[in-house]
Amino acid sequence: MGVAVTTPDLESAPRRPGPLRVALLPYALISPSLLVIAGILAFPLGMLVWLSLQHYGLRELIQHSGDWVGLGNYQAILADPLFRQVVVRSLLFTFACVGLTIALSTLIALLLLKVRQAVRVIVMSALVFVWATPVIVTVDIWQWMFDYEFGVINYLLTQLHLGNFIHHNWFDSPIQGWSVFVVVVVWGAIPFVTITLFAGLLQVPADVVDSAKVDGAGPLQTFRFVTAPMLKPIFLIVTCLSTIWDFGVFTQIYVMLNQRPSSDYFTIAIYSYRESFGVTQYGLGAAIAVVLVVILIFVTLFYVRETVRVAEIG
Amino acid sequence: MIAPGTAQGVRVGAARSAAQAGLRINVGQRVKQLLYDVVGLAVAAVMLFPIYWMIATAFKPGRDILSLTPKWIPNPITLENFQYAVQRPYFVDDVRNSLVIVGSMLVIGLAVAFLAAVGTARFGFKGRTGYLVMIIGVQMVPLNALIIPVYLMLDSVGQTDALPGVVAVYLAVVLPFMIWTLRGFVANIPPELEEAAMIDGCTRVGAAVRITFPLVGPGLVATAIFGFIQAWNEYIVAYVLLSSPNNQTLTVWLASFTTNHGPEWGPLMAAATLTGLPVVALFLVLQRYLAGGLTAGAVKG
Amino acid sequence: MNFRKAWFSVFTIAVALVAACGGTSSSNNSANQSGTLTVWLMSGSAPQSVVDGVNADFKAKYPNITVKVELQQWGDIGTKLDTAYAGSTPPDVVELGNTLVAKYAAAGALEDISGKKSSFDNSGTWLQSLTDSCTVNGKLYCVPYYAGSRAIIYRKDFFDAAGVQPPDSLDGLLTVGKKLMTAHSSDPNFSALYYPGKYWYAALPFVWDFGGNIATQSGSKWTGGLNSSSSQQGLTTLSNIVSQLSKADKSGDEAKQDAAFAQGHIAMIIANGWEVGVITDPKAGDPSLKDKLGAFAIPSHNAGQTAPVFLGGSDLAVAAKSKLQDAANAWVQTFTNQKNMAQMATVGGVIPNNTSQLNLASGLNSVFFNAAKNSRFVPNSQNWANVENANVLPDMLVKIFTKQQDIPTATKAASDRITSILNGGG
Repeated sequence: MGVAVTTPDLESAPRRPGPLRVALLPYALISPSLLVIAGILAFPLGMLVWLSLQHYGLRELIQHSGDWVGLGNYQAILADPLFRQVVVRSLLFTFACVGLTIALSTLIALLLLKVRQAVRVIVMSALVFVWATPVIVTVDIWQWMFDYEFGVINYLLTQLHLGNFIHHNWFDSPIQGWSVFVVVVVWGAIPFVTITLFAGLLQVPADVVDSAKVDGAGPLQTFRFVTAPMLKPIFLIVTCLSTIWDFGVFTQIYVMLNQRPSSDYFTIAIYSYRESFGVTQYGLGAAIAVVLVVILIFVTLFYVRETVRVAEIG
Repeated sequence: MIAPGTAQGVRVGAARSAAQAGLRINVGQRVKQLLYDVVGLAVAAVMLFPIYWMIATAFKPGRDILSLTPKWIPNPITLENFQYAVQRPYFVDDVRNSLVIVGSMLVIGLAVAFLAAVGTARFGFKGRTGYLVMIIGVQMVPLNALIIPVYLMLDSVGQTDALPGVVAVYLAVVLPFMIWTLRGFVANIPPELEEAAMIDGCTRVGAAVRITFPLVGPGLVATAIFGFIQAWNEYIVAYVLLSSPNNQTLTVWLASFTTNHGPEWGPLMAAATLTGLPVVALFLVLQRYLAGGLTAGAVKG
Repeated sequence: MNFRKAWFSVFTIAVALVAACGGTSSSNNSANQSGTLTVWLMSGSAPQSVVDGVNADFKAKYPNITVKVELQQWGDIGTKLDTAYAGSTPPDVVELGNTLVAKYAAAGALEDISGKKSSFDNSGTWLQSLTDSCTVNGKLYCVPYYAGSRAIIYRKDFFDAAGVQPPDSLDGLLTVGKKLMTAHSSDPNFSALYYPGKYWYAALPFVWDFGGNIATQSGSKWTGGLNSSSSQQGLTTLSNIVSQLSKADKSGDEAKQDAAFAQGHIAMIIANGWEVGVITDPKAGDPSLKDKLGAFAIPSHNAGQTAPVFLGGSDLAVAAKSKLQDAANAWVQTFTNQKNMAQMATVGGVIPNNTSQLNLASGLNSVFFNAAKNSRFVPNSQNWANVENANVLPDMLVKIFTKQQDIPTATKAASDRITSILNGGG
């Protein structure tokens, strides 16, 4: 056929998508992520809640059918005095870890501003080494260092004449044991928070800080009134993330206590795991996990709201 | 000789005391700088000590590892722990599996996260707050609690003991964090750049790809490293899902050094050192991008 | 489970592409028995030569079946087994620690092989404790695989230097121990008998020797027995020994006792036979100790007799959901036959599953093999695993040894807890 059909040159004219296309665009952009997250996690999350409403032991698990108990598991949990102890303990532990992590990381980040380049690289590399090592490995190292008879910490403390730590079991007393865990968790958490805070500090304009100094502000005041407010978004996000991560601490305690922690050392995450796989009460374990999430939502509510609000502006 | 009381003397005197004051300031500053440096090095030493201990232990023979008096420097140095670790069955397979899993997860994850980041950073739309809250909220669920549901779900499609199943789980779990991080980086790039490109004839998406994407390079690197570390070090899901030894990941391989009579410390430390090396290497290679990326994106949150 | 079904379609479509790239597990059952037989063995339990031999023999009978033997680690194995048995394609054959079997059998995960018992070699002379571990409600759910028993490993050179001989009674043990402590009084780290507090397996001989028990069953009801006077007497004797002879961590467990022993400040440990190998292994031990080690059975309080020991070990179970049950049983038959069992004993050094092959031991192993003749098991309840996971016994021992509680109080609390858990509570 002879009719020549000319196709419009698609590259020449500026293309303005219609209003509908623009409106749909953001949804299109986030839909792959929704597909992945919802597609993969919706079922497990749903099943978690569903499990929490049933009595589900090993037999039920294998036969794939449980006994409906409605809110029975939740009632049992809330009535259990151990559960309340565990929640309080988890909250205290989280508070201590997050507080120490943020405080120490801020100090180290500020320090990084002051040291010379070579030292800065050394410190950053050290932080990355720590961050890059898998948790299960670092916990093995810490367990080894705190060992009753072969541990280097007992040896060092005795050599430094800080007491007789030979044959000292750090987990005999819960206070000491929890302190050990705070050290381990904070040590592992410092790299990420420090590096993030440091990056933020680099953004703070030097002239603003200098003019504050010229006006007579001391270092503490400069930080409090000038630097910190500028870093507010970062502080929000790292505090929020740290809280989420520290509240769910499991591996460190589980591994350091040879997979058999006594009830003095339960965090809520360990309690959930133990109910599920330790005594094969998956329904109870699921209910505890749900309660964990609910508590976490409450605890981080302020941060989440603030972070999302900041994100709205940005 | 300049007489002290004369005008000249006063000027010289003033110059001399100014010079002395200057010298004093210099010394003072130098001492301060030295102090900061020393404290900095101390911080590095304290943070690194456990890592040093791990590496040192990896080079010690068995008897020196479990000695009641710690040996600070390995002497004699031995490579048998490393030999033993590497010869452990399935080492090569597990390295490959870890790389494949984490690599796939990163490739898909970065692409998906970038699109979502652009979507939430550049547009206001109905449901945006809900979406962002979901992104944060999903991170609150402990992965341990999802083991059984995830296993049953993958079992129903025959994807237990298979790498794609693990990739899918890691992807879903790490994606929220990646989206959040990348969103901050994208938000920091002025939209004017994209708008300029659009005036020149690009579509919205085209502008994003041609302009924004290269500029968030550092942000992508930072996000990639975060994601890499989280996935590389994950244990329990990989352990439960992957039962064939040739399908397992490096972290599961590491766990095999802990037997029922305790960990085999020497080989375990050697194996751990080997496992951590790729991440450190990755960081050292990419660290200049990381610093730039973090500074570019982090402040906005 | 409607919930699951609701998501199948969505997920299946999405994963269909991915599934094509993934591996496949065992295929459907068919009359000519083809497919993949998946076997889970715990790492270190069987010598590779034995496994290879079994697979070769098996291949001759079932040429169309591929056998995949996968070695598993003990850590978190419970979690892995729970999910595997919950899934649709559990491993066909699994090596289960003998204290775990009742739990899975009662939950319906294992095949009832009561009718097939006679098809397994030496089933008439199976070690009683292992058979007990496989029996739930009168039905047989697994095949005994191997056993482990405990005796006392000691340093012959320390004994010679202190002029003492292996004792034949518990009183003798204390006397010998005290002499050793005196001989080494200049060494603050020295233990005549190194006993980590949580080592409950090693405490059981003392309880049983005086006539006590962990729990007894009447009908379907369990009653804890650790607070009986005989049990308490046994624990008092043990506590005496520990406080006078041991510098070990009273709150620690026995995981590193072999490495500690190799450091040279210990004269005796209560240990399994295979721990000799760990002590002399260059990785964490001291090879030079090879010729200095001896072993003797844990003595009874009655001179000349030995105390009953806990018989550890593993059994082999076929999954109820397995699609290749005949082949699975055939594999287990081959694995536990006379010839291969003998190899496990001689090459692997573990105690075989039957009394007629107990004479195959050599060297120090004979002590451990003989100790197996006087052995007992824990209460054979489906809830026993929960007792272990709740740390009832280790916690009780720690409280006793650290003097936090006196023996009557600690044993009563533990006993009540055991009663509650075994009867289905928490």
